[in-house]
Amino acid sequence: MTLVKPIQSPGGKIDSIDAIRAGFETLGYITNPQIATSIYLAQNLEKPLLVEGPPGVGKTELAIATSKYLGLPLVRLQCYEGLDESKALYEWKYGKQLLYTQILRETLGEVLQGAKGLSESMKRLHQFSDVFFSEQFLEERPLMKAMRAPAGAVLLIDELDKADQEFESFLLELLSEYQISIPEIGTIKATIKPIVFLTSNNTRELSDALKRRCLHLYIPFPDAALERRIIAARVPDVSVRLRNELVAFIQELRGLDLKKLPAVSETIDWARTLLLLHANTLDPEMVRATLNVILKFQDDIEAVGAQLTTLTAEALKAAERPLGAL
Amino acid sequence: MDQTLGDFIKALRNADVRVSSTEVVDAHKVVDLVGYTDREMLKNALALVLPKTADEKGIYDYTFDRFFKFDELDEMEMADRASAAGEAGGDTEAGESTGQEGGGEGQGGGGQNNMAEAGSGGAGAPSDTDAAQQGEMREHLSPLSQMVLSGDRAGISVAMAEAGEAVGLRNIHIFTQKGLYSRRILEHMGLKALNNDITALRKRDNANAHELAERLRKGREYLLSQVRDYVEQQFLLHADVDGSHLREDILSKSRLTNIERRDYRMVQEMVRKMAKRLIAIHSRRRKVYDRGALDIRKTMAKNHAYDGVPFDIRWKSVKIDRPKVVAICDVSGSVAKVAHFMLMFLYSLNEVMPKVRSFAFSGRLGEVSDLFKDSDVETAMAKTLAEWGQGSTDYGRSLQDFAELALNDIDSRTTVIILGDARSNYGDPGAEIMKKIYERSKWVMWLNPEEKNTWNYADSVMRKFQPYCHQVQVCNSLTHLERIVSSVLRSAT
Repeated sequence: MTLVKPIQSPGGKIDSIDAIRAGFETLGYITNPQIATSIYLAQNLEKPLLVEGPPGVGKTELAIATSKYLGLPLVRLQCYEGLDESKALYEWKYGKQLLYTQILRETLGEVLQGAKGLSESMKRLHQFSDVFFSEQFLEERPLMKAMRAPAGAVLLIDELDKADQEFESFLLELLSEYQISIPEIGTIKATIKPIVFLTSNNTRELSDALKRRCLHLYIPFPDAALERRIIAARVPDVSVRLRNELVAFIQELRGLDLKKLPAVSETIDWARTLLLLHANTLDPEMVRATLNVILKFQDDIEAVGAQLTTLTAEALKAAERPLGAL
Repeated sequence: MDQTLGDFIKALRNADVRVSSTEVVDAHKVVDLVGYTDREMLKNALALVLPKTADEKGIYDYTFDRFFKFDELDEMEMADRASAAGEAGGDTEAGESTGQEGGGEGQGGGGQNNMAEAGSGGAGAPSDTDAAQQGEMREHLSPLSQMVLSGDRAGISVAMAEAGEAVGLRNIHIFTQKGLYSRRILEHMGLKALNNDITALRKRDNANAHELAERLRKGREYLLSQVRDYVEQQFLLHADVDGSHLREDILSKSRLTNIERRDYRMVQEMVRKMAKRLIAIHSRRRKVYDRGALDIRKTMAKNHAYDGVPFDIRWKSVKIDRPKVVAICDVSGSVAKVAHFMLMFLYSLNEVMPKVRSFAFSGRLGEVSDLFKDSDVETAMAKTLAEWGQGSTDYGRSLQDFAELALNDIDSRTTVIILGDARSNYGDPGAEIMKKIYERSKWVMWLNPEEKNTWNYADSVMRKFQPYCHQVQVCNSLTHLERIVSSVLRSAT
């Protein structure tokens, strides 16, 4: 792997894709080459990374792992309907501002003492420093916090699709220029450009303008080999046999027509559950009892319950088959 | 600008992946960073920059593999050639008998194998003196002939690509051009000289020369098939979609009544695309109104004038306004086809227009909303036609039916679209009901699939309806439909 232009990064940790993969693995986050490449490019091109994919495949986890890996603080902004810049970017400290105006009124007499005529009063008033809209009264919200973090930060804007269209447009300036404009003060530029992650569950299509400014990573459900590695990293106590079996079972479930397919997070939960129950291998009764860990809708549970025996048998068979190098 | 990357992006755009110029710049940065050496890495890296939806990722993977296949082929052939050369060397040392075998295989084999074996046979088959004689003859041949004889497949590939570049193969648009481009490429590569060589060798009274001519002839066949493949491949990459763009363009402008059954699938696809575009535009038009929470910021700002006493209170608000559409379609005779596409359009817009009610009539009128909601357009339309398409058109009767069914549901937020040719078979058109609809609704739009100059001719009573419509329009092509539906969406929000 030849890299034309490796750049300086915190501790040289992002110099190569292999280094990223290895580093993330020690943190228990198993990447595939695409994911590792995305981290590499996000850092090198200084572009935000838009992560899409079904729920529970580790989109948010990726940002958290990155912040741990780089040793940077994680600033998280959870999006919801109605989120606006006063909650995301900054807010004025209204209480303090009110107090300030009152103090100002009291000191007004002193300031204007001895002034002759209206024009001189106004002149003196103008000379008086105007701090009403100044940084002193500025309350930092996540976005600004990330921009002004002294050593850089990892900024996670989670579930952006839940926020309004307007908020999305509002983010554009931040995402392309790493700067934000506050009408009363001016433009604030990031001291060190934060690494920005945006996640979306695709409940609504994001605008082209936003997508254009981001790298776009789609994380699908992992294949069996990758999922086995993930389980091995996250729930190391599970025996190899059980691990292969439960991964095979989950992989089969994803082929069915279900309301909500089980994601990686569900696989991990299930592995933990089975571990607690001291299971050594999958058997239909055990699966039936724990089905509610992986399936979240009664309809789904019933649909799967009906064909549980066949599914388990097939999973056991599939687990025997070699999957190539793990 | 990197030509390869530029071509790749063009191929992507051809395959309906939207790539903006910012993304092109990004792609170049990516290539600068990762280079072309590691194919897998390049693929992963570009996948982050160019395709921006899950669908596009799939198309991207496919296009990438196809686009960069050629390079891979090259490498493979290089390796092939190296091994073939090795074998050939071995053959000459081993002597006559193995050499003969090599020659035999060379004649029997076809396609790609033919080349390598002909090459190895060429070095191996003849005895030393013959080889020397042939070698001497070879020196007088054209470069292309020499390349063909020595089985230089990589060389041929390169020459082919260069020739393709020179004749502008990238501009190929429609499939009928394939032959033309193949010939141009062959000419550019020097086919003429090769042909001359063959003729010249044949004329010579020499067994060796004849054998050489025969081998050249086989080589030429291989060359032809290679060029054909190459042109085919490039055509698929660069032009396939251009061709369908052209067709789409024609289809979107031609009269819907003239569209033939075999094009239905394509038209449906186009309607889907148009609807998607409209959804993308109009789903952003949600207005913010009355969300209920106190907007402290705005209140503070507004009330500075009153000494900070919250006098004028501001609220945060959301307003979601979605159009209510009622479609009344004539499903008799030729109007039915237009109705088909319009209903298809309206129901594809479910996301931005969830409240569509549709009515079909010819003799009598009935509601078909549920049909279209539950089943696909084809079956729904067939059922509609079976149920309501009989009998001669009676506007008066049908409008009367409509008034009984749904007049009370029409309010100031409803857009009424009526599709029909206004030919009432000299019966009472029922204009007074039209007036009621007009007064109650927000907007009444009459779409007539006939051209304007045939309106009011014979039994057409457009002039009776016209006063009670906000808008009257000719509608007989997809372009019309798109424009109209878009205007409905716009006026509704």
